[in-house]
Amino acid sequence: MTLDDQQQDRVKRDRDEVFVEFTKSICPVCKTPVDAQVNIRDNKVYLRKRCAEHGWFEALTYSDAESYLSSARFNKPGTVPLTFQTEVADGCPLDCGLCPEHKQHACLGIIEVNTGCNLDCPICFADSGQHGTETVTSADGDSTTASGYSITHEQCELMLDTFVESEGEAEVVMFSGGEPTIHKNILDFIDLAQAKPIRNVNLNTNGIRLASDKRFVAALGERNRVENRSVNIYLQFDGFDERTHREIRGADLRESKRRALDNCADAGLTVTLVAAIERGLNEHEIGDIVEFGLAHPAVRSVSFQPVTHSGRHVEFDPMTRLTNPDVIRLLTEQRPDWFGKDDFFPVPCCFPTCRSITYLLTEGEPGAPDFGVVPIPRLLDVEDYLDYVSNRVVPDYAIREALEKLWSASASMGTEVTEDRLKQAADALDCAEACGVNLPGAIADLTDRAFMIVVQDFQDPYTLNVKQLMKCCVEEITPDGRMIPFCAYNSVGYREQVREQMSGVRVDGVVPNATELGPVLIDSPSGSKVYRDDER
Amino acid sequence: MTSAEDAKACCSRAYGTDAVAMVLGPSYHPGGLSLTRRLAERLGVRAGHRVLDVAAGTGTTARMLAADFDVTVDGVELGQDVLESAVAETQEAGLSAKVGFHHGDAEHIPLPDGRFDTVVCECAFCTFPDKERAAAELARVLRDGGRAGITDVTVTGEGLPAELSTLAAWVACIADARSLEEYSEILAGAGLTTVCTERHDAALERMIEQIDARVRLLRMTSFTRLHQAGVDVDAVLRYCALAREAVADGLLGYALLVAEKR
Repeated sequence: MTLDDQQQDRVKRDRDEVFVEFTKSICPVCKTPVDAQVNIRDNKVYLRKRCAEHGWFEALTYSDAESYLSSARFNKPGTVPLTFQTEVADGCPLDCGLCPEHKQHACLGIIEVNTGCNLDCPICFADSGQHGTETVTSADGDSTTASGYSITHEQCELMLDTFVESEGEAEVVMFSGGEPTIHKNILDFIDLAQAKPIRNVNLNTNGIRLASDKRFVAALGERNRVENRSVNIYLQFDGFDERTHREIRGADLRESKRRALDNCADAGLTVTLVAAIERGLNEHEIGDIVEFGLAHPAVRSVSFQPVTHSGRHVEFDPMTRLTNPDVIRLLTEQRPDWFGKDDFFPVPCCFPTCRSITYLLTEGEPGAPDFGVVPIPRLLDVEDYLDYVSNRVVPDYAIREALEKLWSASASMGTEVTEDRLKQAADALDCAEACGVNLPGAIADLTDRAFMIVVQDFQDPYTLNVKQLMKCCVEEITPDGRMIPFCAYNSVGYREQVREQMSGVRVDGVVPNATELGPVLIDSPSGSKVYRDDER
Repeated sequence: MTSAEDAKACCSRAYGTDAVAMVLGPSYHPGGLSLTRRLAERLGVRAGHRVLDVAAGTGTTARMLAADFDVTVDGVELGQDVLESAVAETQEAGLSAKVGFHHGDAEHIPLPDGRFDTVVCECAFCTFPDKERAAAELARVLRDGGRAGITDVTVTGEGLPAELSTLAAWVACIADARSLEEYSEILAGAGLTTVCTERHDAALERMIEQIDARVRLLRMTSFTRLHQAGVDVDAVLRYCALAREAVADGLLGYALLVAEKR
């Protein structure tokens, strides 16, 4: 080496990234809390962390750094729930929950009624299914798998009471699983929820029973007509290609989905299509899903969720995973005449980068040449109402309140609350004096043409950031009466803990099926991956 | 277009008509209040400053500046009806002590020399037929060291497609828009030195989308009223599409400019 070379070696260099946050996360392998840093490179946001035992990990968390930073203004001060279920002891995310340090109440409570399912999807964050373990049928007909469980009437009641104690009047409870429609008491559970101060029930289902059991669908329809209560269907719906169905669900369910939707329409049930989007699988179907939803009489909203790499999933690369801005970009690319990037607005009740929503009014019949959509954020500047940092004067606080309910995790089309809020928000368009059109009045007649699109990126053991977790407003209610932020439940080990408690069978910590971890992973009995501990 | 004066009167009148109020709705200029705030920050607006808003419209900017930046604001507006709404809305907001309005024209601002720390002019400079004269007026009412802040439509390259240069387009304030460099030169001619410029083309794109959405909403809800007011929906949607294309091609844009009186 010459002297010149040596001097060149000693020249200071700039880092290739902008360091923006110091936070906490977990090791995706052992789930131990670790320090983490958020960095920006090439306008993308990455979370990086190091576990003393398992080394460095990095994942893409938001593919539009500019939006990531600017959305910080849309962070609504949280609301303190009426009760907390745990104490602060070991710090986030080990004290769930909710612990008194949690920053937000629960907009949405989830009750998983079982772990059993009538499908064995290759992709399932809940690691549910019928595989791998022996089935035990008890005297009263409840079937449990060796590491699985289904909740009892008493447990459901305790879970609902936990939610109500914490919320007072709760907006939405979601029954999920497993597959909730195969729990023999699911209708009782819905009745139980409707008898409590909980306005809306969402039923999260793969639709198989809805496709084949019209009496069941009619029973749900009846419950949807109970005064001041509603039942909405949250239907897994990932696309139209056979490959999409086979690779995400392990079966071609296209016909079944169609029948389920038609049966819901006949029973007067409102449906949200819920699409898990995975890179290289169904990212080309996002626009088609929206178009299909707009055309179907039962469908009033679509929810897109980049596949959560918790539980069971196909092998993935954390550095190129899909994030909310990717889904929005794909939609605007696939339907450029309908959507622009700015039509989606971050949800202020949770951390604004977790969820984005838009509402549309539709014009004409889908498929017809004059069909068009009018995104509501083009009609009023949502930003002028939901900026909690730089705004000192909000044009109208009633409209802000309406928009807060619309841009929240509890918003659900087909419910009176959401439709009332849409009408209230339309007051922002009042120009009766200036232009002689009573737009708010006119829009009130249009709410049955309103449609909601949600984009929600749940966190996984790679992307988990306690900053987001601490303000999570979607909670898993556990049979022992805790309310655990959804992404903590799926990523930190709470799901495995509850499953072990409920089934009495040991459940190992699930590790993401990331390509880089391949060599240290083995299959779990339920098809997810666990750490290969050679000393076990 | 017969003459510049006709255009000016027509433009100001048009902004007061039902048709324009219906089409533009609350989206009163590209970028909305957040771009106005950014402009105020770039201008270094401080509590206690005296601010002039030229072509103040119904006073949305004036009231925001008074409330959020604790300044006193004078608004100048040519449209009599618009001016009356501005006064009424300001009274309703309880800001009349800090915000006043004057009937007047950017080319003859009815206010004394050297009175203001800051002058703002949003999405209006491009519609002034005698831009040199308007620039001289902005400079005249500023104190030495005072700053003028303009956000406006910019046109570059070979100009606009023919259809966008018609009267309707003038109303939409693009027919006589110039390039950022030209605005800067015009201001320099009046003794205002440009200290900062920013491009905000996305804000214009967004406003075009908003107009498009609003017209389609009105078509859904109030077709008869729209027709009565003389709004040709198809024509507006066509202009929107053309304008959007022009933005995408880089012909049409939006910019922020701050110039100082030295």
